[in-house]
Amino acid sequence: MIKVLENYVGGRWVPSGADRFLDIDNPASGKVIARVPLSTAGEVSDAVAAAKEAFREWRETPPLVRARCMLRLKGSMEDRFEDLARTCTREHGKVLDEARGEIRRAIENVEVAVSVPSLMMGYNAEDIAAGIDEECVLQPVGVFCCVAPFNFPAMVPFWFLPYAVTCGNTYIVKPSEICPMSQNLLFELLDEADMPPGVVNLVNGDSGVVDALLAHPDVAGVSFVGSTPVAKHIYRTAAANGKRAQCQAGAKNCLVVMPDAVLDRTIPNLLTSAFGNTGQRCLSGALVLAVGDVYEPLAEQLVAAASRLKVGNGLDETVQVGPVVSQKALDRILGYIDRGLEEGAELILDGRGVQVEGHPDGYFCGPTILDQVSPEMTIAREEIFGPVLGIIRVADFDEALSVIEGIRYGNAASLFTSSGKWAREFKYRVRCGNIGINIGVAAPIATFPFAGMKDSFFGDLHGQGRDAIQFFTDRKVVITRWF
Amino acid sequence: MELGTFGAILRFAMELEEQAGRFYREAGQGELEGTFDGRAQSARKRLRRLERARREMVSEMLLESISDLDSDDYTVVLDAGAGQGELLRRARYLEATCARFYRDAAAKMPIREVVRLFERLARENEQRLTEHR
Repeated sequence: MIKVLENYVGGRWVPSGADRFLDIDNPASGKVIARVPLSTAGEVSDAVAAAKEAFREWRETPPLVRARCMLRLKGSMEDRFEDLARTCTREHGKVLDEARGEIRRAIENVEVAVSVPSLMMGYNAEDIAAGIDEECVLQPVGVFCCVAPFNFPAMVPFWFLPYAVTCGNTYIVKPSEICPMSQNLLFELLDEADMPPGVVNLVNGDSGVVDALLAHPDVAGVSFVGSTPVAKHIYRTAAANGKRAQCQAGAKNCLVVMPDAVLDRTIPNLLTSAFGNTGQRCLSGALVLAVGDVYEPLAEQLVAAASRLKVGNGLDETVQVGPVVSQKALDRILGYIDRGLEEGAELILDGRGVQVEGHPDGYFCGPTILDQVSPEMTIAREEIFGPVLGIIRVADFDEALSVIEGIRYGNAASLFTSSGKWAREFKYRVRCGNIGINIGVAAPIATFPFAGMKDSFFGDLHGQGRDAIQFFTDRKVVITRWF
Repeated sequence: MELGTFGAILRFAMELEEQAGRFYREAGQGELEGTFDGRAQSARKRLRRLERARREMVSEMLLESISDLDSDDYTVVLDAGAGQGELLRRARYLEATCARFYRDAAAKMPIREVVRLFERLARENEQRLTEHR
């Protein structure tokens, strides 16, 4: 019996009244493992109403009491850690270790949110004029929501929800309609965290739910992670409707390898960056910029190491690269590889057509490396979101920076070098939000913002850390005098 | 079986500790109760440490095949049905095998915290070998 997912509204699991449903596949087998409703605007309104009603009481709950709910949630997430990881792998395809890493990062955000009683403190000054004092307090705003991507189905809503809720807001999550099961399991744990009904809500669905959230007058703000075109739409629409918005968007990240890079330590970082999560990461390295004479040993060692990676079912702990998330994604990735070849790139590692024993219908593409790539090519400009890495030869550091600057996105960039001088230059000059120095995946931990620039981010405040506290609160300044 | 990933190595380590715990619980009946009681408890704690490592230390994963580490090289077949002398010999073999596994695996691990954990576990096994002499 295929499970049909429900919504969680007002503290209860509620079967959706939708008449449209999507099948959720296990990407390793291609088999249907659940069905998700595409909820209606009316169901969104019900969730917003529940969240608005809950806000009144929740906003008056002391921050320390709110933080205790997060402590209970953390305990539940640790207890159900393996279940969460396995659910993530089954619906997304990523290998178990990656799923565990994802759950760990989600928990880290809960752990940081527990500090909200301190993080949410304001400030004051006596005698701004004689006998007059002034203070600034941070207050919750109201109902917030997030529109979550498929690639980190457990973690990404937790860049936002723990902070929003601990700051006194109420919340609605719209999970990815491709990978909704992790979030549905997390809401079982949220249910056990014993917050008042309506503080956290979940509405499954697609763009219809998103549009309803953006249009609803009682939604104060939206957090989004996904593609750049959708990010722009959400940012524009949210702003037009008077809502706060933070929209993390697409990427085309460069990994610059200098001649003085420590190659045997660099290669594993490049592999992880390009092929970890099967390349389905906004922090994935898409282009290696090989500077000068590092090119030959780099290309040779990269191909050798990548060809040893085992592709298969993510639940098998000997596997290192899982399937991509869907047949549609696989077709798109294969289309980009063909396009690269048409435009003159050379295929030096071919991951197409990989066969995994016992999984004839899985969506597998092995690590693929294209050489002789130039910045003008489609595969150098557009986000592929798969295990495909391009190599661009550049003469020197400045040419590498020029390539990075020419890319419309600004999510991440990494430099591999032994030189402090080049590292400083790179940090200083590159217009990308997440910079790695000898780090292939520059993923900020929960106390730092998940940054992004140019067409990779729309908004002023990012997810995680202190940015999250700012995004989910308003500042009220009070000037006092007593007669 | 080749232990080529972080997850596979941790799983094997956990299986070793589960086996060790079972052996010491069963062998620690009768004359060896005082000797092996602590070992059974210790195996439980070590298992929890490994399980916590698998949960908590995985956030910086490096994707590279780990090679030349095979679980067949560290197989321990432990039967607790034997006389005292034989049980002590098997315990020595278990401790030596575990120490060797943790040292070999530490040398290949890409995550520094796990390297430290494995080295600590190896030292504990080696310490017990000196107790047996």
